[in-house]
Amino acid sequence: MSTSTIRTAQAEVDRPAARPGAAVTIRGAEKVFSLGRGRTLQALAEVDLEIAEGEFVAIIGPSGCGKSTVLRLAAGLDTPTNGAIEVFGDDPHRLAKQHRLGVAFQEHALLPWASVRANIALPFQVAGRRVDKARVDELIQLVGLVGFEDARPKQLSGGMRQRASIARALALSPDLLLLDEPFGALDAVTRRRMNAELARIWGEEKITTILVTHDVDEALILADRVVVMTGRPGRIRKIAKVDFPRPRGFETTRSPEFHDLVDELTALLDQVEGVDD
Amino acid sequence: MTRALSFLRGLVHLWPVVLVFVAWDAWVVLNGYTSTVAPRPFPVVTDVVIGFGEYLPYISYTLGVALVGLLGGTLVGFAAAVVVWSSAALAGVVTPAALIIRSVPITALIPIIARIVGYGDPAVLTSTVLICFFPAFVFTLSGLAAIPASGHDLFRVLGGNKLQVLARLGVLYAVPNLMVSVRITAPTAVLAAMLAEFLMGAHGLGALFSESRSYMDMERAWGVALVATTVSVFVFLGARALENRVVARVT
Repeated sequence: MSTSTIRTAQAEVDRPAARPGAAVTIRGAEKVFSLGRGRTLQALAEVDLEIAEGEFVAIIGPSGCGKSTVLRLAAGLDTPTNGAIEVFGDDPHRLAKQHRLGVAFQEHALLPWASVRANIALPFQVAGRRVDKARVDELIQLVGLVGFEDARPKQLSGGMRQRASIARALALSPDLLLLDEPFGALDAVTRRRMNAELARIWGEEKITTILVTHDVDEALILADRVVVMTGRPGRIRKIAKVDFPRPRGFETTRSPEFHDLVDELTALLDQVEGVDD
Repeated sequence: MTRALSFLRGLVHLWPVVLVFVAWDAWVVLNGYTSTVAPRPFPVVTDVVIGFGEYLPYISYTLGVALVGLLGGTLVGFAAAVVVWSSAALAGVVTPAALIIRSVPITALIPIIARIVGYGDPAVLTSTVLICFFPAFVFTLSGLAAIPASGHDLFRVLGGNKLQVLARLGVLYAVPNLMVSVRITAPTAVLAAMLAEFLMGAHGLGALFSESRSYMDMERAWGVALVATTVSVFVFLGARALENRVVARVT
């Protein structure tokens, strides 16, 4: 039995009520931004992508290749100029309105006046639900912020802020988790540790996840599939399936197969960047 | 010993105040002014020190009016900014009104205000509110406009509505700006209160100034100016301390 069948089976056990099939469907999505004075910028050109329920998909690509735009489309923060996007068979912004969406932004977007605990509790308050204190405590433990519950964002390190931001994204046990380079600003060591933590969290919660990153290793450690995007306008260059067994510790990342895949995808990115230059 | 030293060092920073007094005295003496034209510093300070009990009710009245006016003006300005931020239609009504209020000199407005709300206390208070209103309005509006895009995005993905964005995000983002407005308008509030009192009030430092002048009690009149300056400085320092504390709490 392959890992993916096990996962699908688990997802069905965990979420009996959820619709089977695709969680996110992007069909021929194009995005053109107006720059004013009649000038435009095409960020995306005909992107097709289907993400299954319970799947972890990483999108990699050079800066400005439109990977964050894909995420914003899935979050309902932007609408495609052409094409269509469906999330759980519905308009993307409906998911947000139903409080079933979790997003961790590139800039953590924590409220500066609120403590870690209050920031993680925010989704409950915005949803008009009673704050589940046990869930907040559980998340604080999950992201390793015990002892910092009452600290404010400015008192935390960059990595801690990102962890708080991820905990907030997980607060309402969302059906879709979107991570936009959440570790982009971190040093290599912290980043590696955060990857391991995210893999562990995902292992426990099994939420359909899209991660945008420019780090190939990070994508391969975390994702079931890696989507490589080209530069402007953003197109999908390749979708690579990642079959390494989980958890992907040092045995995996030191294996020749892992290195081969890193090299292959990095080479693709280099080509892409070459074209861009 | 060190405490005494740091106290002395603190006093050194007061040199501009000393300079003002020395220049004042020199100006009176060198021009040969009589005390009716301009009194020398010493009798003025003596009047303030000895007669401080007589000043006190006037000080507390002016200070009270200035603080209530500051609070009221800040709240009205804040509310107007929230209204303008929330609705483009209302923005078209409120913004021109705010600009007109700002553009007309307060001295010209005071008689009109007095006609509308009644002479005396209500007019004094209303004038102070009007003076404090505009900075609070402008600063709050710029605070609301400066809500970071990531904040808006956050509330959208959380499924929040505009009211939640305002209450949970906008208000607190606007607070540091609002505190800047409080700091810069606080001394002006004292000035506005005194001006209104001077023109039509029966109480406060402004009224005391006008009264002393008409009785040719120049030491008292200059004493009022001295006291008013001191009160303004302390109000400013208080506002700045408040700003520092509040800003540290919300950022």
